[in-house]
Amino acid sequence: MEVSFALTGKDYVIIAADQNAARSIIKMKGDEDKIKALGSHLLMAYSGEPGDTIQFAEYVERNLRLQQMRNNHPLRPQAAASWVRRSIADSLRSRNSYSVNILLGGYDMAENTPKLYWMDYLGTQSDVPYAAHGYGSYFALSLLDREVQKRLVISFPSFRVKVVDAEGVREVDVDMSV
Amino acid sequence: MSLSNGAILPATLASGTVKKVIEINKFLLGTMAGGAADCQYWETYLGIQCRLHELRNRERISVAAASKYLSNLVYSYKGMGLSMGTMICGWDKTGPALFYVDSDGTRLKGDLFSVGSGSTFAYGVLDQGYHWDLSDEDAQELGRRSIYAAGHRDAFSGNTINLYHVREAGWEFIGNYDVTKMHYDGPGDVPGAPVGGYGYDVRIKTV
Amino acid sequence: MEAISHAGTVLGVLAADGVVLAAEKKVTGKLLDLSVTKEGGYGGSGEKIYLLTNNVVVGVAGLTADANSLVNYARTAAQRHLFTFNEDIPVEQLAQRLCDLKQGYTQYGGLRPFGVSLLYAGWDPYYQFQLYLSDPSGNYSGWKATCIGANNGTAQSLLKQEYKEDIKVEDAIALVMKVMSKTMDSTTLGSEKLEFATLTLDAETKKPRAKIYRPTEVDALLLKHGLAKKEDAEMK
Repeated sequence: MEVSFALTGKDYVIIAADQNAARSIIKMKGDEDKIKALGSHLLMAYSGEPGDTIQFAEYVERNLRLQQMRNNHPLRPQAAASWVRRSIADSLRSRNSYSVNILLGGYDMAENTPKLYWMDYLGTQSDVPYAAHGYGSYFALSLLDREVQKRLVISFPSFRVKVVDAEGVREVDVDMSV
Repeated sequence: MSLSNGAILPATLASGTVKKVIEINKFLLGTMAGGAADCQYWETYLGIQCRLHELRNRERISVAAASKYLSNLVYSYKGMGLSMGTMICGWDKTGPALFYVDSDGTRLKGDLFSVGSGSTFAYGVLDQGYHWDLSDEDAQELGRRSIYAAGHRDAFSGNTINLYHVREAGWEFIGNYDVTKMHYDGPGDVPGAPVGGYGYDVRIKTV
Repeated sequence: MEAISHAGTVLGVLAADGVVLAAEKKVTGKLLDLSVTKEGGYGGSGEKIYLLTNNVVVGVAGLTADANSLVNYARTAAQRHLFTFNEDIPVEQLAQRLCDLKQGYTQYGGLRPFGVSLLYAGWDPYYQFQLYLSDPSGNYSGWKATCIGANNGTAQSLLKQEYKEDIKVEDAIALVMKVMSKTMDSTTLGSEKLEFATLTLDAETKKPRAKIYRPTEVDALLLKHGLAKKEDAEMK
């Protein structure tokens, strides 16, 4: 029952993810951050199999950091997305696969454009203007007309929301009262 | 297990003679749920690694690092049948810390967790009685009362409760309490505890 | 290395809107069959200048057989990057891949280092146009204009005198031609002795466009710059 959303604007990407950590019927935590800043201009929201999510997110985080250190510049969102997709796809056919769904949003400093990529645990990738994972995806279109809170059967009390634009990444507060 | 008033208070029940709170070292405690052997073995192993960290780095391992070590370890066995639901708590440079770690590979930092088949019942009591500024006595009583609820309602939990309190100087064993005794007579002369049994039927004097 | 100082000169000039490479072919003879290479492939006669990937062209100086091996390695490395990241390999990273390989041969016993120096002309979205030089030891460096092979000292000092900041590709071509004609031992220049390439950005797609000149195009270029040899007609 996880939900994440993302959308691109003219010069930014905004990403939101629920903050619940649940085990079967128990909600164990309500302030878990499921969006990682992978670089100065790159954000990744992750959801899926418990354990896999954090392990994969940290694996990606550290590899992208290593590449940035080696090459003196971060990967562009497109290249980072390709690398992440490749990692998922390679793991899918290995003995242990990462069952993780990803929303990767970044700001391409070379072309000055916001970029958003949707990826699932099977290694499907698409370049999209807005996207969602989880049950929220069934309301992805409603996202644009701000009907999410009204229509979603599981109404999450709060979302962690992060923005990436030319200035870099930052967290924003969003008033959840509709 | 709850974290309050700058102190951690774990309360867990013992089934028979098996200790469900594992004393990893003077400052670290781990709890047991799921496969008792898995928990016992790996938490003892964790204790060895924590001691080695101490010898190599001339300082105690942080609770975050210790729990991460365990989390990474069980994750490497994912899908191979390990079954563990554990809480690692202790005191380090950052103060009190509590982590939930399970064999899925999930690791969560928090200030209030309950794990095991009776966890829902314990959560019920824990959630309604929890405050950040709980006194030591009240925190201990809340832990005791929570586990009692689990022991009473859950068919798979019971027998006795072991109660520990973690402070800056390390953990302290508070006591062992019989669930049946608590039901009828209460925990005895214990600070923070009410006089008389916890049982509903006892309280309305139908017995 | 000895082989490199006797190898044909390779010259590179970095311009604001492109990079220019020129290479001197040392061994020619009337009996060498050039019928295939004359109009072959993507241009060039395939002796000194190679296209590694969309965005990188190299000129080589040294042992030709070693160079072939390195070129093959570089092309594979570039494709591997494309496979993993779905983007053209950044120029410096490609130079690094080759240098990592070259360095390895200086470290482990029983193997002979690659007797090759290379000039890389490339473009990537991170640093735009770039010119790199790498030597057999695995050192590499970035340049505005530089030279490897025979007479590289002469060429280097000429380039130092003549190079201007913010030079355009057209002027860079002229500069390369001029330096080349002064550096090469022979008095006359022709496509049988010269290879030539440019790397520019396509005005429409904004994607890098490598052009390795065909022999006829090299002759036309020489003619344009008044450097063609007199007996050009009788060669044909």
